[in-house]
Amino acid sequence: MSFSDPASMSHLMVIRKAILAIALATITCWSPWVLAGEPGDSTVDSRVIRFNEDIRPLFTKHCTACHGGVKQAADISFARPETVLPPDGWAIEPGDSAASTLIERVTTNDESIRMPPPEHGRALTADEILTLTLWIDQGAKWSRHWSFEPPVSPPVPEVETADWCRSTIDPFVLEKLEANGVVPARDEAPLRWFRRASIDVTGLPPTDDQRKRFQTLLAEKGDDAYALVVDELLQSPAFGERWASVWLDQIRYADSKGLGLDGKRNVWKYRDWVINAFNNDLPYDEFTRKQIAGDQLPGRTIEDQLATAAHRLTQTNEEGGTDDEEFRTAAVLDRVNTTWQTWMGITFGCVQCHSHPYDPIDHDEYYQFASFFNNTRDCDLNEDWPTVSVPLDPSDFDRASELDREITTLRQTLWEKDFDLLSDDKLWKPVTSLEASSSNETKLVVNEEDGRAEFKTVGTVQRGVTIGLQASVPDGLDQVTAIKLTIAPQDTETAIQDAEWGFVISEIKASLRQAGSDEPLPLDIARVLVDEPTPFYDPQLSLNTKSNRGFAGYTKIHYPRTAALVLRQPLEVSQDSTIELSLDHRVFILASFSLVSRRGWVHLSDDPSLIENEQDESLIASRRKLRELTGKRSSIRSTSVPVLDERPDHLKRPTNLFVRGLFLTKGEPVSSGTPDCLPPLKQFDSDPSTASRRELAEWLVDGNHPLTARVMVNRIWARIFGVGIVATEEDFGSSGEPPSHPELLDSLSVQFQGEFGWSMKRLIREILISRTYRQSSVTRNDLPFEDATNRLLARGPRFRLPAEIVRDQALAISGLLTSTLYGPPVYPPIPDGIWKPFQGSDKWVTPAPGEPGRYRRSIYTYVKRSIPFPMAAAFDAPSREFCTPRRLSSNTPLQALMMLNDQTLLECAEALGKQMSRVDGSVAKQIAHGFETAVCRPPSPQELDDLRDLYQTLIEQNETQPMTILASVLLNLDEVLTK
Amino acid sequence: MSLEAEYRLRFLQQTTRRHFATGCATGLAGMWMASQQAFGDTSRFVPTHDPNNPLSPVPSPKVAKAKRIIYLHMVGAPSQLELFDYKEDLQKLDGKDCPDSFLEGRRFAFINGVPKMLGPQYPFEQHGESGAWVSDRMPHFAKQVDKVCFIKSMRTDQFNHGPAQLMVHTGQARMGYPSIGSWVTWGLGTENEDLPGYIVLLSGGRLPRVGKALWSAGFLPSVYQGVQCRSQGDPVLNISDPEGVSRDSRRKMLDAISKLNQRSYERFGDPETLTRIAQYEMAFRMQAAVPEAMDIKRESAETLEDYGAEPGKQSFANNCLLARRLAEAGVRFIQLYDWGWDSHGADRNEAINAGFQNKCKQVDRPIAALLKDLEKRGMLEDTLVVWGGEFGRTPMRENRGGGEMAFIGRDHNPGAFTIWMAGGGVKAGMTYGESDPVGYTAAVDPVDLRDFHATLLHLMGLDHNRLNYPFQGLDQKLVGVKPARVVNEILA
Repeated sequence: MSFSDPASMSHLMVIRKAILAIALATITCWSPWVLAGEPGDSTVDSRVIRFNEDIRPLFTKHCTACHGGVKQAADISFARPETVLPPDGWAIEPGDSAASTLIERVTTNDESIRMPPPEHGRALTADEILTLTLWIDQGAKWSRHWSFEPPVSPPVPEVETADWCRSTIDPFVLEKLEANGVVPARDEAPLRWFRRASIDVTGLPPTDDQRKRFQTLLAEKGDDAYALVVDELLQSPAFGERWASVWLDQIRYADSKGLGLDGKRNVWKYRDWVINAFNNDLPYDEFTRKQIAGDQLPGRTIEDQLATAAHRLTQTNEEGGTDDEEFRTAAVLDRVNTTWQTWMGITFGCVQCHSHPYDPIDHDEYYQFASFFNNTRDCDLNEDWPTVSVPLDPSDFDRASELDREITTLRQTLWEKDFDLLSDDKLWKPVTSLEASSSNETKLVVNEEDGRAEFKTVGTVQRGVTIGLQASVPDGLDQVTAIKLTIAPQDTETAIQDAEWGFVISEIKASLRQAGSDEPLPLDIARVLVDEPTPFYDPQLSLNTKSNRGFAGYTKIHYPRTAALVLRQPLEVSQDSTIELSLDHRVFILASFSLVSRRGWVHLSDDPSLIENEQDESLIASRRKLRELTGKRSSIRSTSVPVLDERPDHLKRPTNLFVRGLFLTKGEPVSSGTPDCLPPLKQFDSDPSTASRRELAEWLVDGNHPLTARVMVNRIWARIFGVGIVATEEDFGSSGEPPSHPELLDSLSVQFQGEFGWSMKRLIREILISRTYRQSSVTRNDLPFEDATNRLLARGPRFRLPAEIVRDQALAISGLLTSTLYGPPVYPPIPDGIWKPFQGSDKWVTPAPGEPGRYRRSIYTYVKRSIPFPMAAAFDAPSREFCTPRRLSSNTPLQALMMLNDQTLLECAEALGKQMSRVDGSVAKQIAHGFETAVCRPPSPQELDDLRDLYQTLIEQNETQPMTILASVLLNLDEVLTK
Repeated sequence: MSLEAEYRLRFLQQTTRRHFATGCATGLAGMWMASQQAFGDTSRFVPTHDPNNPLSPVPSPKVAKAKRIIYLHMVGAPSQLELFDYKEDLQKLDGKDCPDSFLEGRRFAFINGVPKMLGPQYPFEQHGESGAWVSDRMPHFAKQVDKVCFIKSMRTDQFNHGPAQLMVHTGQARMGYPSIGSWVTWGLGTENEDLPGYIVLLSGGRLPRVGKALWSAGFLPSVYQGVQCRSQGDPVLNISDPEGVSRDSRRKMLDAISKLNQRSYERFGDPETLTRIAQYEMAFRMQAAVPEAMDIKRESAETLEDYGAEPGKQSFANNCLLARRLAEAGVRFIQLYDWGWDSHGADRNEAINAGFQNKCKQVDRPIAALLKDLEKRGMLEDTLVVWGGEFGRTPMRENRGGGEMAFIGRDHNPGAFTIWMAGGGVKAGMTYGESDPVGYTAAVDPVDLRDFHATLLHLMGLDHNRLNYPFQGLDQKLVGVKPARVVNEILA
């Protein structure tokens, strides 16, 4: 069948009429649901089809699997209008559905050409076809996906009962309720609202005193009391402890390294930084800049650097025999995915292997983005380098930052002088005649290459080799002032992309052998100059017999690396004398990879400037100054935290596309950039190859990015209401859900990045003082369908508390909670036999009962990825291998066992029981006190009866601790475990 | 609330759960999707568990030959060349330099430069009617080979333990993905409501490297994660009541909780509250059922003797016996981890010519007893037993650091390894696939882990493409994104 055939055209018309009939029938039969989406449709033809709401979901569901980003069958992608619409596309004729191939192919009865093909999916329903047909006839207008358009502040909707509204949120919610003919739920009882607000802001229930204060305020100030207590709660340091945990799920915070040995990672200072950032209400734009590019900010402080630990929380692999480059690459890609997921709500991982299946993001754009993160110095090292030394006492931060800035500047200045000498070709003459010897089975050869002699290892390299080099003095050299050693990859071309294993020269000895003399004369080396300003290993250690460290390409080598040994005195040489070097290698990685120089060559210099550089008074003074400063700095008690830090430009790693996502198959080189479907990256300078993480951070938070504010607003909303305005918090793209209240989301997002100045406290306040939030959480029996997910927001939130709050609340209710803020991880009780770390040194030492360290808030509990804290695991806390956008909530018997029998809960029950027994008065009064402390409201008479009955029975059974058991019952109540 | 209203609410709750479990387009579209399942939409199998019990049994979408799996994983990767994959040619090359062609383009964990070839270290013989080759290290197992189907052409793409173990159990090399047991219990639920559906048993010693990530539910709801049961201490965490609390008091206490929670339900109408009441009841039943199932003292002296089991100890033998008890009790997936199989030769415990012998002794008898016992009880028909490691070992002798080592060992080899399966719908007395003449690569009918996974799912009545779950923008599957195939040739 082809379009030029009039017979088939009329055939098509018949089909279309039939479809209309079926579609009408379908709409009637599915009316409750269709009406909920499109109220008030009476005639089919008047329906205005909207691309994002009506059409894109159809394409995503039925078409893009074959005609999308991964596969573009027939060069058609329904993620890209230019491949579908004229002039280049041919599948759709706007305004003329009858002439559109798309309609023909979805309506045909011929199974051999029907779309989607029967083996790929079912045929489109009559209603779906009708929607497509109407859309084409209405002009086939394509819109960008809603979330890629910047949010615009919508007009405040007109509502009938405007006096219901309390905050800017309410009109948007009420409008939708009224449109659906639904009245909002009544207000929640004040004390229950207060518990809800307290848990949402601080992760803890209100104390007795707080409850009384709220009731007094309510009596005195009426409705104003609500906003007042929200403001008070927001000032509590517990706020940061609650909300940091939300962020730590996103940024995959753990105190262990992940794969391999899953050893301890010392990064708790970052966790404290997040808590502190929330408590100080660090605006989200600053919060973002520091975590993405704190190391690149002008006048960076310790805290700026510390914030970049956000991207050092990736898994590393310490297992013996692993390729550091493989796991470094995995970490870089995880940084890319986490940045997209966390800041932009876009699942980007799929673009690692191919173009995005649904959204207009190309495969190469993934690697352009990866390039922002590909030049940091970290490389899956067991030492977790590079690190920054963070003072234990935050009051030392300013002084330490100041010292660090001075040290960095001075070190850079001194190094630049060294590097100028090292890289000035005029100063150096290549050695053209070289002999090489090995101390063990390692075999060496010497080749002439580019007018110089170079050694190379061949075959098996045995660990611990000492390489001896005899370099003949080149013609025309009467004296030697310095010896330059270059260690190179075996293949200089490929190593830039696929780095080779590196080297560590544990010890270098140099000597002169005069012609005819048997005794080599040891040379006195003043200093080792190297080609990077802050090497992981101090190159001077190559001169120190006791240390195994020294000049190194640790652990990988991309480029030839150079070091110069500057002699203390110029050395007279004759043409037939030789310089002898001995390069001792004593370092290997976990019994497997020997870090041995595999190729290298030597230059000599007769230039006096090298020695003069050592004797220059002002330089000597500067070096002394540097030692003084570092001495001062190291006297500040500090702990080392892994952070981001860039490699110097001349050692920059190139980024290449990975063919089908595999790190061993590299494709075209790429430079840093952001996808075309989003606003352009604004660069600080014009060179596109130098786009930095700082520019990337700015791109996210300069107010033009359509996703940044929306995603954070939605995240905060979701933690409070249990489900986001966009329910798929992880996916704001085409395969995610559209927002339930798009105008509300946009209104809040515009406020958040404008009026609120990115203040998270301000945003949370706006939500909590709303009438929407104040609604009762009782199920709406009048709304059986809508209520199931509460997408209309016709009642308040009700869901099981997250793991941390379940535990912290029990500690708080029982009065055991220790309110100390910050500090190294803590080790609350866990059942015997749980803790079996791979490394015996990784101990779980629990403070004794009664000690405060036993009852800290859960955010401080040591997070080990391979051995999750049992209570956290049972209550759905993620084990933090990857960014977890939202937690799935489960309801299991193991949770019941945990609540009934876990050591911490037993201690809580005992403490609460004692607390109850201490109350003056009847048992009933004691029980009522416990109930109110746990549930935040007085018990009903029936509830009190139930509990008294239990107490009586326990007494009759001669139970010795009846009140403890009653306390345990209270801690296990559904109403306690639920918000 | 009227009964009808309650029913409708339950239905909605179930649909909502399903909606969140599948993450599909909208709440309304979610319902629509659910209804489409009935119209033959084949894109995804969505298990429909009882809303009060996410582990309730669900009929398998395809015919299931196996109802449950017992998976025996030898952590560290046992040498196929000393157990089942007999290589006469390798014996001839013993002590010779490894040819360059074996080394080019390969990455090794510990081998350096040019290692020496290493012949089989133990004598082999053919056994049973099937004539399967087994070395003299497994004399008891050798008598059971006619129940077994060997796959000698397994391969993986990971050559370090952590990632490779994750590959075997989650189909991905990084932590954070659901394990086979999680997929299976998500898809099928379990038959005994009073026991966890997915149980993990460790022989003692060290935890596997990536620990609980091997039995993680990944992005699936956490209720589907493996539950580690222990033969010392509480068999399940916190399953014992606190000291001094009688069973009777506990019952009274639970009655009170249920009563108060029922009031809570009447007040708030939240169906989740009803689920919670049900979960507390299930916990109470588990407190009786788990210790009973875990108590091997209930077995006859003869049975204990067969397995070499000793009550109260933590051992692989005990775990094999427990596996049978749990299988009998209707547990869906029983995962055993044994440890200490990493025979590099770096020390006595991990050497082919020393520690390896002990490891073989520890597992040989219990495995044979398990196979016999299952058969005797008529359970081998619908119980699938799987044995394997995370990769194979090299036909070269390890030369860590570039020199000869004191003990004999082999390095990691992702290119070829052997696993075997028995019972539950696989052909008995069969060998599938071959490695090359020295056992270095999978040469004939290679089976990738994703094919192995597809086959396991198939035997359990699940389709590896339809069993998927959206996460990070992909419909995630156990078999990953590359096409996987069911190894039909081994199906009975």
